[in-house]
Amino acid sequence: MLGRGLKRKLSDYEESMAGLSSAFDSSRGLSYPLKRQLVLNMCLTKLQTYKMLVEPNLHRSVLIANTVRQIQEEMRQESSQQPVTICPGIAPASPSYPGMEAPGISLQLPSGVGQQESHGCELRSGEDPIENSLLIVSDDDMSSAISSILKDLDFVEDISPPTCLVPTGDDQPKFPENTGLKLEDDRQDLKGAECVFGSFEISNSTSYLKDLAIDDIFEDIDTSMYDSDFCCPPLMPPRSPSLATEEPLKTFPSCNSSSANNIQICRTDLSELDHIMEILVGS
Amino acid sequence: DKTVKLWKVSERDKRPEGYNLKDEDGRLRDPSMITVLRVPVLRPMDLMVEATPRRVFANAHTYHINSISVNSDYETYMSADDLRINLWNFEITNQSFNIVDIKPANMEELTEVITAAEFHPHHCNTFVYSSSKGTIRLCDMRTAALCDRHAKFFEEPEDPSNRSFFSEIISSISDVKFSHSGRYIMTRDYLTVKVWDLNMENRPIETYQVHDYLRSKLCSLYENDCIFDKFECVWNGSDSVIMTGSYNNFFRMFDRNTKRDVTLEASRENSKPRAILKPRKVCVGGKRRKDEISVDSLDFSKKILHTAWHPSENIIAVAATNNLYIFQDKVN
Repeated sequence: MLGRGLKRKLSDYEESMAGLSSAFDSSRGLSYPLKRQLVLNMCLTKLQTYKMLVEPNLHRSVLIANTVRQIQEEMRQESSQQPVTICPGIAPASPSYPGMEAPGISLQLPSGVGQQESHGCELRSGEDPIENSLLIVSDDDMSSAISSILKDLDFVEDISPPTCLVPTGDDQPKFPENTGLKLEDDRQDLKGAECVFGSFEISNSTSYLKDLAIDDIFEDIDTSMYDSDFCCPPLMPPRSPSLATEEPLKTFPSCNSSSANNIQICRTDLSELDHIMEILVGS
Repeated sequence: DKTVKLWKVSERDKRPEGYNLKDEDGRLRDPSMITVLRVPVLRPMDLMVEATPRRVFANAHTYHINSISVNSDYETYMSADDLRINLWNFEITNQSFNIVDIKPANMEELTEVITAAEFHPHHCNTFVYSSSKGTIRLCDMRTAALCDRHAKFFEEPEDPSNRSFFSEIISSISDVKFSHSGRYIMTRDYLTVKVWDLNMENRPIETYQVHDYLRSKLCSLYENDCIFDKFECVWNGSDSVIMTGSYNNFFRMFDRNTKRDVTLEASRENSKPRAILKPRKVCVGGKRRKDEISVDSLDFSKKILHTAWHPSENIIAVAATNNLYIFQDKVN
């Protein structure tokens, strides 16, 4: 176990965490900074797990986020009292939360840290096995992790009222004005905006399709270019507006599967939507 | 869990017999064969309990509903989710009034959620709601349509000697209940039950330790998510005894007058009908006496989250995983 420093499977991680929790509770062999680091790791792991749930639990997420903030604040105060540099062994993760996955699970190599004096990075030989399973995460990562989780929770939860989408079989898209507006106001997140935008697009195009025969729409469009099987560079410029639809379409199913209200998604052929988008954008 | 339904629960113990136009199996009789008219009579049958949904109140909640409370006017009720509380009229299913909204403009600023809410037992304009930070707010609906400003704010200052990483998590209130008198409220957080006097906001008047031996196990309980378990608490009819659940199918009762408490167990092995429950004890260290259970052998998957006390009799209902237990005072 010592010095492996490699990405471990989640089950191994969980086993080691259980052992560490008992060590924490018995207050033996763990210094305060280590205990703090352990709690922090557990918090971040939980937040990550909750994010993947179909119905994330807002209450738990808020409690855990507050715990992380509290630890963060404490660490900030300590580091401001002692001017130290953070261990260079930390992998610089991207600001968005998915970037956390790598440092979240991988171990810290003791050799890569050296003798740097930092509270989070103290390595004493007697505690190597425990430290090996702890990770060091930077402040920015934590803040952005919490922010993105809470924003995502807002997005996932607030999109669930069925007034946002048209179930299959409805001819008229029902969008109570205030709900739609409210949703759009809340969306600071670009992904969220695209999703709402995507949902409106799909619903509109579904009713549009029902009202007109498809052939009528396309008869004056030369579709010979799109009949080719491979994506040629000449296709790129015309394709760019449809990429915008593909983005919300990809995120859209994942958002909708997050809702437990069984909102029925209008699954239209991607190619049909491409055509529709071109018409709407072109007109 | 985002829709409220009103059910009618009814018992049926009689059925009509002797219809004219159909026979006992329900098949239609040939009208030309009927020569005599009779009045159907009601005959006793095995008791049947049925629940039928009578109202569905949908589409008003974006987050998980944690509480429903019927108002003392019996015309309105409220439903609370993590960030909002809505007021309904029983007869109107497609509209509700939002009376509390703590959702911040920017979700990143969210640090507190609503955990429970209840109407005052006598004053139909007053209600309380508890939060994940261990605070209780009392609101008066007469002051404003949106009760964002509380009339009273109950919070106990933190005990610095008990501070830990999990202090905030264990301070989250899982249940709040008015006493029958309306003078007190009781709150349940992870380790304690507290009784508050409505006239005193700065601290509870009584605090009872439910399972303080878990204080040294908080990290493990956090790791297996048990620390997020939401226990309920109840008053007895005269507000002299309070009860709440714990782990290992234990539940605890506290007598507010005598200050005595008891731990009882709801399990098949230990309860035969009419048997008197034996008090249990958790051993916290040192020598374990016979019949005591050590903290490490507690079963944390057997938790009693839901309990109820009859409003006037000494009959209690305790839900233990898949079983419902009903106990009463021993009959002399």
